[in-house]
Amino acid sequence: MLRRTTRLLLGFAAICLVAAAECGAADAQKPVQWSFRNDVQPVLAKSGCNAGACHGAAAGQNGFKLSLRGYDNEGDYLALTRQAFGRRVNPTDPARSLMLLKPTTAVPHKGGKRFETNSIDYKILSEWIAEGAPPPRDSDPRIQKLEMFPESVLLEPGQGIKLTVRATFSDGGVKDVTHWAKFTAANATVTQVDDDGQVKVIGNGEGAITAWYLSRIAVATITAPFTNQVSPRLFSRAPRRNFIDDMALEKLRSLNIPPSPRCTDAEFVRRAFIDTIGVLPTEEETRRFLADKSKRKRDRLIETLLNRPEFVDYWSYKWSDLLLVSDKKLRPAAVWSYYDWIRGNVAANTPWDKFVRQVLTVTGDTLQNGAANFYILHDDPRTLSETASQAFLGMSIACAKCHNHPLEKWTNDQYYQMANLFARVRVKSGQRDGENIVFTVTDGDLVQPLRGKPQPPAPLDSPPLRMDSPEDRRIALANWLVSPDNPYFSRAIVNRIWANFFGVGLVEKVDDLRATNPASNEKLLSAAANYLAVHKFDLKSLMRAILQSETYQRSSKPLPENEADTRFYSRYYPRRLMAEVMLDAISRVTGVSTPFDRPDGSKFPAGWRAMQMPDVSADSYFLKTFGRPERATTCECERNADPSMTQVLDLSNGDTINKKLRARDCRISRWMQSSATPDQIIEHAYLSAFSRFPTKDERAKLAKIIQASPDRRAAVEDMYWAILSSKEFLFNH
Amino acid sequence: MLKITGKGSVTTCDGVTRRDFLQVGVLGTIGLSLAKFAELQAMGAAAPGSDERSCIMIFNLGAPSQIDTFDMKPDAAAEIRGPFKPIRTNNPDIQICEMFPLHAKLADKFSLVRSCYHTAAAVHDTGHQMMQTGRLFTGGVNTPHAGCALEFLKGRRNELPAHVLLPMPMGPTGGNMPHGQDAGFLGKAYDPFVLNADPSVKNFQVPDLLPPKEIGEARLERRRELRDVVDDAVRDFEASPNASLMDTNFSSAYRLMTSTRARQAFDLTREPQKVRDRYGMTRFGQSCLLARRLIEAGVRFVTINTFITVFDEITWDIHGSKPFTSIAGMKEIVAPMYDQGYSALLEDLFQRGLLDKTMVACLSEFGRTPKVNSAGGRDHWPNCWTICFAGGGVKGGRVVGKSDDIGAYPVERPVNPPEVVATIFKSLGLDLETHLPGPQSRPFPLVDYGTQPIKELF
Repeated sequence: MLRRTTRLLLGFAAICLVAAAECGAADAQKPVQWSFRNDVQPVLAKSGCNAGACHGAAAGQNGFKLSLRGYDNEGDYLALTRQAFGRRVNPTDPARSLMLLKPTTAVPHKGGKRFETNSIDYKILSEWIAEGAPPPRDSDPRIQKLEMFPESVLLEPGQGIKLTVRATFSDGGVKDVTHWAKFTAANATVTQVDDDGQVKVIGNGEGAITAWYLSRIAVATITAPFTNQVSPRLFSRAPRRNFIDDMALEKLRSLNIPPSPRCTDAEFVRRAFIDTIGVLPTEEETRRFLADKSKRKRDRLIETLLNRPEFVDYWSYKWSDLLLVSDKKLRPAAVWSYYDWIRGNVAANTPWDKFVRQVLTVTGDTLQNGAANFYILHDDPRTLSETASQAFLGMSIACAKCHNHPLEKWTNDQYYQMANLFARVRVKSGQRDGENIVFTVTDGDLVQPLRGKPQPPAPLDSPPLRMDSPEDRRIALANWLVSPDNPYFSRAIVNRIWANFFGVGLVEKVDDLRATNPASNEKLLSAAANYLAVHKFDLKSLMRAILQSETYQRSSKPLPENEADTRFYSRYYPRRLMAEVMLDAISRVTGVSTPFDRPDGSKFPAGWRAMQMPDVSADSYFLKTFGRPERATTCECERNADPSMTQVLDLSNGDTINKKLRARDCRISRWMQSSATPDQIIEHAYLSAFSRFPTKDERAKLAKIIQASPDRRAAVEDMYWAILSSKEFLFNH
Repeated sequence: MLKITGKGSVTTCDGVTRRDFLQVGVLGTIGLSLAKFAELQAMGAAAPGSDERSCIMIFNLGAPSQIDTFDMKPDAAAEIRGPFKPIRTNNPDIQICEMFPLHAKLADKFSLVRSCYHTAAAVHDTGHQMMQTGRLFTGGVNTPHAGCALEFLKGRRNELPAHVLLPMPMGPTGGNMPHGQDAGFLGKAYDPFVLNADPSVKNFQVPDLLPPKEIGEARLERRRELRDVVDDAVRDFEASPNASLMDTNFSSAYRLMTSTRARQAFDLTREPQKVRDRYGMTRFGQSCLLARRLIEAGVRFVTINTFITVFDEITWDIHGSKPFTSIAGMKEIVAPMYDQGYSALLEDLFQRGLLDKTMVACLSEFGRTPKVNSAGGRDHWPNCWTICFAGGGVKGGRVVGKSDDIGAYPVERPVNPPEVVATIFKSLGLDLETHLPGPQSRPFPLVDYGTQPIKELF
């Protein structure tokens, strides 16, 4: 999504001219002396001076470097007052200071005009200089709280509202900082916001506005319900199975979006198989399910699926994606050891907190305890802490490696506190190929470059451990990370599981959890996270709740009133099968398996499915084209679900489908040798590919085309091609 | 809007109706969902119908020696000036190497920048990244190729892809890094359409563009008919952006496969043998010819890799010893091929009235050491080299920048890779202050703030 940040940065000018009242307000708030930390830095940030594209760039701009968004007060103060021969501030003649001449373009400024000479910003900077440019002091009040008003509001498209931002400081001072807050609209299709916090609603739905001030974040939610004529009874009468339905319906009601009705049994059986175990139901399984008259058959199917062997294949593959099981850095024996460790735990349904704790605190031989390979794939305390946060907290803290996180509360200090937890892990090589021993030592610390010394080890926002404590620091980390009190941990895994079943995470991107990226249904995410914690992190319990919910079982067919909804689960959103599942499905329907070769020429056993691969080394044009991840970095973005034309050309003209259709052991050969009528063949094909019977109309039309052909086999091949390249096949729906 | 203006080439209507075109060319643009497009329009980054500009990027993989090509130093010592002599061109201000007699007749059409440099490691791959995307890949951020950014911002003009890569992507060049020939963080939907074949071979065809042999026109038509019946059941999928993108891809692919325009554009046998010979029956020469045909047919951006790898291929990479290339290899094979293909392309574009609208940018990853090495070759030298622009608003016959007496460092108007890519964007009519959706939705400037095109060229 494109953010409006640039326009905000570049378009800033002359705000105070029109907002005279604000100037007055700021005047009234004027402390005894302007503070560098609390008054000057916000001006520099709002004016864009220390933005990444300007002087906040790693190399600065035109010889003048500030810290990104002002995280380094001392360094910035030195840059402004001591560098460039002191020309940037001139206390005897403030108006001749470069830091005023440049942004008002009194002298040429590549970055253009940032504020006017009669603005409050100019006033603050010039008065601060005239006061002798006092430095940041330890005794400065610190910001404690940032709030935005109104916190949530109901509006219609076309309407607007002016947001107000208020900061509270440690000395009890409260300040209206709206003018210096930087605003961002999280959903640009619903709301726009300008530099002054003036919001304009442009579409229906829900949009969050974020305000940033002195590294703090405040969020306001703007709701613009759809203008549908929906009877409130529709929501109160809608069937509910569990808490998921309660909360999803509450949200739909607030937005006036009606839910689609329940999906058919045929839709459910295909959907549940694909989402839970990554394979299509066989023709037999489908027939049996459709014929079953029992009322509880969906629940029974769910239980069966949660206990199928393919469940282990599917979720082992998913967690292998997450943990980057790959032959790029691991020898084959280590790949198998890591993969088998994951498989074993999936098979045993190890609770997620135990699973993660084992990964984080592992010691020993990488070939005996596969989890130890986590420390082979990532061997630097910084990478380890970034990877652990990304994988298990759905949170990217990498920005804070060099500067305070611009979109989150994490500071550079906290980053190095966290990374220092991994500073005492060591690895030595073992005797065998791929064997390493992971162990910890009792000394050694990671130095934070900015401060030139290590930070006391601490999990992000908890109190630090003692530097001299000899215990394995990772245990404290694991205790904090997997604790039911750590909201990030359960939310992160809930969001991943949720996205697996619904296609769209409650938070999008799936592993981008942060205050500035709110969930589409916060109550639902919290409740699901709580549910998982209460159920002791048994992932199957969450999967069961999801699969049983009416929300999951809604039809994918949109109603005119919910067609525009893509975030609130008023219907099931169709989505392309993941590369591996699609290839397996093509093999299943044609009856021709796909051989997988490694780059070194060795082969995986015949008949193995793509979802059974331990790593991503199998050489496959199809899988690459359809977005199989490389497993190089911990990021959901590695897997690409976008349809592309190359994919379509491969389906249409390439080898994947065409070769299987021509193959001698293809299912089609069996139909040709049997006495099956076109109608029977059509039925078999539909049941195996779509898990439903063809309609009368489909039977008639397809049979007509097949019968018109003198070459029966070619015609049936063409029908299979049409089925395998159809959206109904390529999508889960 | 979609007028093919080439003289002598007749555009036949191939059944693309105006409605089809509107769908494909404007809204159904591959990979560009409605929301994204609306957003871009709101930002002023995709003004409808704003341009007719195109670009052919010739990437001289291997990296030619500036001193043995377009920035000769005849007055320098023998170990600097090398074995070749300068010749006059049709422009009194420009002298070039004797290896390029056909270039010499066109020196009023192209302009040289003799002061390009970069400061990254002197391996091929870094230069590939910077010269094609404008940036060195750092921190896991793979920036998009200029043609992919264009495709993202403007979409395709018709059933042909917006960005085609000829003849195949860059292979190993020693650094084992990405080469910057894909859409990077924009996602695979914006990767170039890759030819993956040598257009100079007999019976050349685009892989997967045409159905397998046994699927004739009748079966193709039947398949489409069957698919229409089958897919009718899920018509309402269109509410899902991904499903409609898949649909768009199917219709685009189908249109591409069945489009006379596309088939003809890729069909080099439609050119008189005389024309093919003028370009040279080499992989490079025929790629140039194909590029001209594709631009003519509506493709916005064509990238031509002059070579694919520096190993065991005779290229510009004249280290002088195996597996690399010798000076003789360059003289006898590389330079004549290049001289022929490039000059044919420029002349052809000019004669067809396409040159004004089509920038031809000849780039490379670095230059070569001023001093000839012990093997009689030259090694990697990113501190100064020459690149060449023509068309697309570039005034011909100019020399921008100047290197020192031995071609080692720029002494006037140093030009860095971001400026080169900004120059291409300027020619294409893109707003340099546009932002792309970067990793983790971070707005990513098309070019870094303050980066300017090489204004002296226009």
